[in-house]
Amino acid sequence: MRGHRDLKLVCLAAVLCALVAALVPWEIVRLVAAVPLTLFLPGYAIVAAAFGSRELAPPKRIVLSVGTSLMTLVLGAFVLNIFPFGLRTASWAVLLPLVVVAAARGAALRRDPADRRARRRTAIPRPAPASLAIVAVAVLIAGAALALAQKPLPAKNAVGYSALWMLPTDSREEAVAVGVISNEHDYTSYRLEVNVGNSQSETYRVHLYPGEEEVYEVDVPPRPSGRTHVVATLYRKGRPEHVYRRVNSWLPRQTTFP
Amino acid sequence: MVQARLESLPVIALLAAVGLFLCSLANALARATVAPTELIYWVGLLIIALPIFFRLSSTKPGYRERLGLVLLLGLALYGVKLVHDSIFFTFSDEFVHAFNAHNIAQYHHLYHFNPAIPTTPYYPGLEGATSSLMMLTGMSSYGAGIFVVGAARLTFMAALFFLFARLSGSARGAGLGVAIYAGTSNFLFWGVQFSYESLSLPLLVVVLMAFAEREEAPKASRGAWAVPIVLGILAITITHHLSSYALAAIFVALAVLYRVMKVERPNPWPFALLSVGAALGWLLIAARSTTGYLFPVLEEAIKAIVKTASGESAPRTLFHQASTTAEVVASTPLAARAVALLAVAALAALIFLGLRVLRRRDERREPFVILLGIGALAFFAALTLRFAPAAWETGNRAGGYFFLGVAFVGIYGAAEFLRRGPNLLRRRVLLTGALGVVLVGGAISGWPWDIQLARPLQATADGSEIDSESLALAEWARERLDGSRFAAPEATARTLLAPGGQVAFGGQGPDIEDIVDEPQLESWQLPLLEKHHLPYVVADRRLNSEDTLRGMYFTVKDQYGSELREPGVVHKFARIPVGRVWQGGHLSVFNLEDRP
Repeated sequence: MRGHRDLKLVCLAAVLCALVAALVPWEIVRLVAAVPLTLFLPGYAIVAAAFGSRELAPPKRIVLSVGTSLMTLVLGAFVLNIFPFGLRTASWAVLLPLVVVAAARGAALRRDPADRRARRRTAIPRPAPASLAIVAVAVLIAGAALALAQKPLPAKNAVGYSALWMLPTDSREEAVAVGVISNEHDYTSYRLEVNVGNSQSETYRVHLYPGEEEVYEVDVPPRPSGRTHVVATLYRKGRPEHVYRRVNSWLPRQTTFP
Repeated sequence: MVQARLESLPVIALLAAVGLFLCSLANALARATVAPTELIYWVGLLIIALPIFFRLSSTKPGYRERLGLVLLLGLALYGVKLVHDSIFFTFSDEFVHAFNAHNIAQYHHLYHFNPAIPTTPYYPGLEGATSSLMMLTGMSSYGAGIFVVGAARLTFMAALFFLFARLSGSARGAGLGVAIYAGTSNFLFWGVQFSYESLSLPLLVVVLMAFAEREEAPKASRGAWAVPIVLGILAITITHHLSSYALAAIFVALAVLYRVMKVERPNPWPFALLSVGAALGWLLIAARSTTGYLFPVLEEAIKAIVKTASGESAPRTLFHQASTTAEVVASTPLAARAVALLAVAALAALIFLGLRVLRRRDERREPFVILLGIGALAFFAALTLRFAPAAWETGNRAGGYFFLGVAFVGIYGAAEFLRRGPNLLRRRVLLTGALGVVLVGGAISGWPWDIQLARPLQATADGSEIDSESLALAEWARERLDGSRFAAPEATARTLLAPGGQVAFGGQGPDIEDIVDEPQLESWQLPLLEKHHLPYVVADRRLNSEDTLRGMYFTVKDQYGSELREPGVVHKFARIPVGRVWQGGHLSVFNLEDRP
């Protein structure tokens, strides 16, 4: 690939991006590396191989590069699926640079030797500082628009609620986890009663801020025969006699339908 | 001088950003349950689009500036979709494809079963491509999907511009053609959701662009252009059924036209053969379930057309919510309906003008141009399908492809309208207004009026995040249950798929809808649940719980979501009796294997 600066750069970038994406732990850094690796470099190399020395206007080359990269990802997934290891970080991190290097090698072979001298960098127009400033402001505003969309907001008219749940803690089913989740708008107090069979009863005072969850573990002593009925009942502080939520379970659970 | 400054690309980009911010603000206010905010949204949309349309109608910009403008249009309007979502996919098909992507990332292979739309795993192009970014970055399907669909949308805009520029020989016309295309009803939301067509349609346009370039290229370069065409045909085949059939139909039609018209250039039959062979091969080898999924819909559509045409059944009311299970939703206001109808009238006028011009020009001898002209006429024929109850969706989906023809013929209509002469500025303003009407009209007819703006899926209270009932259940299931099998009303089933990561059945195949919606337990219901091994059943009293566009959000007082089903939909399971493992809001989850 001597003399073909763009192809050399593309190969180096593909290998570097693959290494960074596969090995670096920080998501944002991996993203910066993975976006060009997946959405540009394979297509660029394939288009370069297809066109060899033939002229292709830079905007079309770029668009074809992105389009062909998308095609490569689709077909790449299909190819990786054939192998037992399938689609993994490592398999993508190997396949994509491999495609890039192979296609770049093909491109280098197809380009005329004279093309090495003739190929010049495309002149990129230099924008005026005022234009750059305006574009920077536009990017900031667009960023603010996206950030606003990502942010959950107070929604007073949305009807809040609380949830109660109960599941065995493990496969032995000798204890249950009982959880209370508050999706209310305000700090809320509850009384939680858990009855295990006819004998054992536990009462908990639960105080939750919005978005909080409290989980309690309750032992369910194994019985020599039959099943133990566990019932958890939640009352709100303001209405202590009114059953607000109730969940129940018969342990050990069956594996058949009624 | 001032006008030139105002029409410069950076200023237009700034206006687009301001428009996007207004759209985001309108959505934020809607999520904060502050109503009404629609006007801010529509103003924002027009602030994005009108300056771009106005500049595109000018004779001054060069080729690259026009390309920049259409890319800006695509990016900003894609932003409008992004600011509609919060931090999850929220469109009904997105949950399905996000589940597939999640499965690929989890199990490292394609084709894992999807209970919502079983055909989708057999067209894994989008999810396969997205999985590469998911795995290489550690992002969720939402984050990775945004990048893949965004790249596809930008590619689509640029490829369409190149295609139109090549066929019409005019960059100005190409820019206007892309602007017209932005008015198709599926452009704003449907076409950029995380769904297979959002990738396949852009790839289809890239293939068409490459084909058009190949036709004009010197003989020595034709082989080079064949590379993206062949790769594109193969990629589309495994990405989306309808797109692959559409592409095959286009190439077959072109091959026939080349033959009939005795075109001197090489006949594209090899591409026709490849696209037909690939689509058929994939259908028969890998995606046989497509016939059971797609063809009944087409069959129903045809029956509905016949019934409506013969007067046997009443025509569908336009702008009307068809669902019988969902709660009553606000109908589209009269002014909005008027805009949508005005958009169709504006398009018809452009097409009429365009076809008249095309008849006199040399391009009419080009097979590709003839095909696009037929597409333009077919679009208006497909519009009539909106009057047939079971055919409107077919018409709507086909419209996205036919609209390529509308946009292309519209170029000539717009050019005729902008012919040199006095009052050019006034005509540019008029055309800009008409394109604005087409854009807004398309958005109105493409998405239900009451959900043009976002609804709260998450909210904050006292500085912390709280979740809607469906989302809270999905999050709990993801954390506490490992890929369990659920029967649920369809909206809840979708959130249980993603982000819940559960195998959740809903809808009518099998008939889960009746099991969870009827207040009485019928004798066939438990055996059906057992047959499909669905131990967890979600009983949801909210009337909109079957509505995959509205059922996953918070109930908002005096606005939406407060209508309830009979208590029997919950009590019938409690009476069996079986264990109730979750109760939150109006949702209860029963475990049928948990019983005395």
